[in-house]
Amino acid sequence: MSATATVAPTPGASRADETAPVRIAVKNLNFFYDNGFQGLKNINLNFHDRQVTALIGPSGCGKSTLLRTFNRIYSVYPGQRAEGEILLDGRNILDPSIDLNELRARVGMVFQKPTPFPMSIYDNVAFGIRLYERLGKADLDARVEEALRKSALWDEVKDKLRQSGMGLSGGQQQRLCIARTVAQRPEVILFDEPTSALDPISTGRIEELIEQLRSEFTIAIVTHNMQQAARISQFTAFMYLGELIEFGQTTRMFMNPAKQQTQDYITGRFG
Amino acid sequence: MVALTENVALATSPAATRRAPSRLGDRIFRAAALGSALLVLVVLAGILAAIAYGGWPAFQTFGPGFLTSSAWNVGREEYGALVAIIGTLVSAVLALVIGVPISLGIAIYLTQLCPGWARRPVAMTIELLAAVPSIIYGMWGLFVFAPLFARFVQVPVSNLVEGMPIVGTLLYAQVPSGVGVLTAGIILAIMIVPFVASITRDMLDQIPTVLRESAYGIGCTTWEVVRHVLVPQASVSIIGAIMLGLGRALGETMAVTFVIGNANRLSASIFDPGSTIASRIANEFNEADGMQLNALMALGCILFVITFIVLIVARLLVRRAKVA
Repeated sequence: MSATATVAPTPGASRADETAPVRIAVKNLNFFYDNGFQGLKNINLNFHDRQVTALIGPSGCGKSTLLRTFNRIYSVYPGQRAEGEILLDGRNILDPSIDLNELRARVGMVFQKPTPFPMSIYDNVAFGIRLYERLGKADLDARVEEALRKSALWDEVKDKLRQSGMGLSGGQQQRLCIARTVAQRPEVILFDEPTSALDPISTGRIEELIEQLRSEFTIAIVTHNMQQAARISQFTAFMYLGELIEFGQTTRMFMNPAKQQTQDYITGRFG
Repeated sequence: MVALTENVALATSPAATRRAPSRLGDRIFRAAALGSALLVLVVLAGILAAIAYGGWPAFQTFGPGFLTSSAWNVGREEYGALVAIIGTLVSAVLALVIGVPISLGIAIYLTQLCPGWARRPVAMTIELLAAVPSIIYGMWGLFVFAPLFARFVQVPVSNLVEGMPIVGTLLYAQVPSGVGVLTAGIILAIMIVPFVASITRDMLDQIPTVLRESAYGIGCTTWEVVRHVLVPQASVSIIGAIMLGLGRALGETMAVTFVIGNANRLSASIFDPGSTIASRIANEFNEADGMQLNALMALGCILFVITFIVLIVARLLVRRAKVA
């Protein structure tokens, strides 16, 4: 029995749709840290609409760096810079004229650790909406409920919306952060190792959630866990030392990788 | 024979190292630690008792009226604490009103906006402010700051507001000498800024990067990140820092004595001279005896109680903020 079979996608995993329109097109992307280190080397990659694309690779391979260029969160740190093109619906988001705050409302992000803001559960979700839209109380309530339902959190928190978000469990906090992101009605959601701080049960719920969110959003997820990539993604990109080694449908990547390095990584021979 | 003694030695030596550890050292250590802890209590209790004992005759003679009377007449032996209490509270509150926003600004600038290379020099400069002895602030305040303050602030502002309701009394200097309650508040503000700023900066620095990134990640501007996420996240510690600053402002003596004007007069204007508990004690202790000394001791007691109340309020605020 080959080692690849052990991490093969579960039979239930949905098929990749190669005909889906391209939402994000990365062209000749290079990324430099403030100390001159080149984190990404000439990346070319497409993210398809309403598909989950997993970015895998060993630590330091640049997968998080790549994810962080899509909402330009790296620009919080002066000195980091990206060169090349990232086309979101045909428009280059690396263009200096792009409004960062608007970009980040269109491209939401969920982080390695749950990051509830120091406010009530309701306000955590409403906060992001209020930044961009003036809504009446009834409309805002409806949006908050919608977001919490989509994040599979509504039933657990509907009676304590006024309580602090910090009082929830880790898994609930992470779903709250997803609700906060979803509430802004973004087009793309970026997940940066969203389950690395969670227990297996919470992890399972987040994975189910990502599968559901796929019907509405384009999703990119960085993960250390290859089984997770196999379970939830339709496309997988394998990166190593800042380069994109191989990209393709998850099923093919895990069953029949074209490159030896990919094969070695997914069978656990290095990384 | 030699072999035999060697065997004996080998047999006994492990037993020797396995003796029960001496309990004596532990006991001495415990007693010493307990003693240090108790010493603080004893000293505190002693000071409190001595001041209360010294102030007792004043409380007895003047009764509760000591707190509400604004008299301070050495010749007629009439004493009241009101002017000093109000001066203490007003100058400390002014110090907070002026100093806290500046401190928060410094902390936020240093942690969020300042380019990396400038961080250390700016932070060092601010911490150096804390190392300046208060007598220096007093001298500088009286000889340099007060004349400039009189010329460029008190005179023009007084001219401007004269005759207006409320501000006309609040900001009117009868004698624009530069010294007064507001001057003391400003000097105190300069003195508490380094404390409040450096504690707040440390607290903002400890906030996890992901929290900050996720606030930026939903499209917040820097102002929104600071206002809605970072400051509330650090609010407990910021309240603590502010209370520490308040404690310092209430008790500060030398610098205030120089610049507050030391007048025993209730004035509605913060440009007018006044006095604080600490400045009054510092001014009069040298020549005081009899009832005057008792009255000063009683003032000391009141200052003690005020700072104690501030401490309790700080604890309560911090606890409430933690629960929320």
